[in-house]
Amino acid sequence: MTEPIITLKNVSKEFKVLNRHEGVKGGFKDLFSRDYKIIKAVNDISMEIMPGEICGYLGPNGAGKSTTIKMMTGVLEPTAGEIYVNGKIPYKNRTENAQNIGVVFGQRSQLWWSLPLIESFKLLRDIYQIEEKQYKDMMELYESLVDIKSLYSKPVRQMSLGQRTLSDILAAFLHNPGVVFLDEPTIGLDVSMKSKIRDLIKALNHEKNTTVILTTHDMGDVDALCKRIVIIDKGVMLYDNSIENLKHFFGAYRTMRLRFTKNAAELTEEALQKQAEELTVDLKQKYPQASSISVTVDDDWIDVLLNEEEIPLMKVMNHIQETKRIYDVQLQEISTESVIKKIYDKEIV
Amino acid sequence: MRMKLRKYTALLRVGILEEMQYRLGAAVKLFGNIIYLIIIYFLWKAIFDSSPTDVVNNMTFTDTMIYLVLASTLFSTMEMFVTWWIGRSVQTGDIILELLLPIGYSSLNLLQSSGNTIVAVVVNLIPTMAIVYLITGGGFALSVNLIFFAMAVVLGIVLNYYINFFVGTICFYTESIWGINIMKEVIVLLLSGASIPIAFFPETLQRVVHYLPFQAIYNTPIMLLIDNSLSIQERFSMLGIQVFWLIVVGSISHVFFRISIRRVTVNGG
Repeated sequence: MTEPIITLKNVSKEFKVLNRHEGVKGGFKDLFSRDYKIIKAVNDISMEIMPGEICGYLGPNGAGKSTTIKMMTGVLEPTAGEIYVNGKIPYKNRTENAQNIGVVFGQRSQLWWSLPLIESFKLLRDIYQIEEKQYKDMMELYESLVDIKSLYSKPVRQMSLGQRTLSDILAAFLHNPGVVFLDEPTIGLDVSMKSKIRDLIKALNHEKNTTVILTTHDMGDVDALCKRIVIIDKGVMLYDNSIENLKHFFGAYRTMRLRFTKNAAELTEEALQKQAEELTVDLKQKYPQASSISVTVDDDWIDVLLNEEEIPLMKVMNHIQETKRIYDVQLQEISTESVIKKIYDKEIV
Repeated sequence: MRMKLRKYTALLRVGILEEMQYRLGAAVKLFGNIIYLIIIYFLWKAIFDSSPTDVVNNMTFTDTMIYLVLASTLFSTMEMFVTWWIGRSVQTGDIILELLLPIGYSSLNLLQSSGNTIVAVVVNLIPTMAIVYLITGGGFALSVNLIFFAMAVVLGIVLNYYINFFVGTICFYTESIWGINIMKEVIVLLLSGASIPIAFFPETLQRVVHYLPFQAIYNTPIMLLIDNSLSIQERFSMLGIQVFWLIVVGSISHVFFRISIRRVTVNGG
């Protein structure tokens, strides 16, 4: 049994936030206010991550993912509990810990904005004090994995988001760290770039046995990369198990997105809600045994979520088509949000 | 050891490279500087014309012009954007990435901004000095004073950096930088003698300025360059005062940053 590379023991993080008042008058009040409230961003989380694992860390916006990551990197100090990364307490040895981790935040870039990419790489080589041989080997590995050579002379500010994310990921792995934290690395990317980046992460993890902690909202990332996922919401850990286990519960879930009018965008929220309610009643009547069916409104779509093991999707669609004209339809797998919602609603234990 | 040194020279190098990316910026800066010099030329000409004597406060018109040209050039050479960098980093949250580099935050900024300054020394300071020397036909001596000047400029750059770093750290609390930075610029510009020679200040203000760190940034190097009456001892003591201020301001900045960053790690950024 190897030692875990990351250990979290009953970690909590509280923030003190000023209770803000409304308006100009409220703003003045706030200048002198001592009225703080405590927000528990992370509440009693424990986990162990083994070397070489790719662990998906999921949760809706504001669930406390980034806070946990910041604590693991050492920029935030936990209010309670213990964290060990590579056997060290990160916030006490931030600079030392930095030598052995890599970070990518999908929304930010750690590269030097105005310089050609290769200059950033060279600088990182010197800052992390990478041996010349190791640097060369790493660059060779990169060149064999992705077409990066053509980007070397391009200033980072002129890159597309996809090229920049790719470069950022390579930069994070450059000093061959034990752990790499990827915070929403595929955010805002097109499908082909997403798959390119997934392949790259997978290859680097495989080649260097790097532990990867990945947060994302994209179920595709999770499917492609992670064997294990941890789900948190409102700072509380909801799920920590293999993805197989989760798929076992949700693999047969599909979302059918429908539009019943030509210009659905012009419909009011009420009209859509009414359509959804009618549909709910109709489907409940027709398929009383299918408890998994739920109808919701999302933007100007009407979403029907169902479990194909209970009731085939095509059957439901045929039924709907008999009574209503469908102008537009999309089929989707269940979204992360719905999975999390289902877990949160204690539909699985 | 050599690896460790390379870490620092690499950052310096990046500062130089970054500054050289913006060629147009350098040209505009030079143009702005020329306009500024024209304004002060006519302003001070008017002041001297209206004076009954040729020498005001022990300085002739030529002395004053040499002083002001050098001061404004030093000012634009040493102009750094550390406060803006820190402010922007804090506002956007990018500071987290900089904190995660295996190098101190202060060293990171000092080296990069020094890299910027080195470029400015080459394209701005040295040419201007050459022009001043040619036009005035030897307005300053070419001897040991140049060595003192060079040392004082280096010390001035680092001192100026720490003042900027201190002001930038205030951003951790205010999350806005504009007002604070403007205030800093005005104070430094006036009290350092960069806009008006300190010899022209009222006596009380001169005494106050003498006990502040700002004059050690621009006034000390210029005096070491143009004032031929200074003895070697006086010159060394002027450098000593610079070192003293560097240690004081540097330590205060470091402590202030430590306290502030601690606040961030405890209460989020």
